[in-house]
Amino acid sequence: MDADRENIEKILKGDYDAFEALVEKYQGRIYRHLRKMVKDNHLAQDLLQETFFSAYKGLPGFTGSSSFSTWLFRIATNTALMHLRKNRPDSIEYDDEIRNQTDTHLTLASPEFVNTPLEILLSNEGRKKIEKAIDELPALYRSVMVLRDVEGFSLEEVSRIMDSSVAAVKSRLHRARNSVREALMSYYMEKDLSPDRRRAS
Amino acid sequence: MKTCKEFCDCLSDYLDGEMGEDQCRIIEDHLDRCPPCQLIYQSLATTVEICGKAIQPEIPDEVREKLRRFLREHCAGDKCEF
Repeated sequence: MDADRENIEKILKGDYDAFEALVEKYQGRIYRHLRKMVKDNHLAQDLLQETFFSAYKGLPGFTGSSSFSTWLFRIATNTALMHLRKNRPDSIEYDDEIRNQTDTHLTLASPEFVNTPLEILLSNEGRKKIEKAIDELPALYRSVMVLRDVEGFSLEEVSRIMDSSVAAVKSRLHRARNSVREALMSYYMEKDLSPDRRRAS
Repeated sequence: MKTCKEFCDCLSDYLDGEMGEDQCRIIEDHLDRCPPCQLIYQSLATTVEICGKAIQPEIPDEVREKLRRFLREHCAGDKCEF
């Protein structure tokens, strides 16, 4: 039996410390996921509390057909999507205009980005650019990309968390990754062509 | 798959290991012969790699503490029996 299952059995027998151990283990990842979904730290904090509270109350219904982490991320995702659907419905999906624009620019490519060393891509400035590019995606696309490429869930697990088909997850992931790729490439192309950079070279 | 766009549409699945052996071979042959598609593939792979490393699972102490207090208040003891 894995450590999560052991803790769940203890919690169901009334051991609150076991619940705190699960919270300690997952709170950072859940908070990161919620922050990326709603793009608001205070709201993410409220949704974090709501997620773990719902998880605690829902534990007797956890059947173990998926891992605990998949189940917990599903609660977090549903909590965030419910909030967004109620308060910011336009932020969830692409509208058709943006959808078509993304398809048109799919083949944009330049060597500046791939030739940039990893330490520059992951510098403070580089990280901000990555965060911004992800933040600009609609929520459904952003969450699929974060679950797959940041959290490392399999496509099957992402489809369970998002309550979508694997085909829908693949399609959103393709669009999300290309949108982020294009944003980063444009940024590094402009950076490479900036007067300062040209003078330096 | 015939056009570069059709190849590029498969690159995300290819990166995820979702293509069959024959399809992988066709994509790899094309990437070997097509520098623009090779560049798109490399930039997509780089994007996926750096996104995975860029966003850390940090949680401020204040948020951690508020969560702990909230849950103790609402769940601990007999406040939320199963």
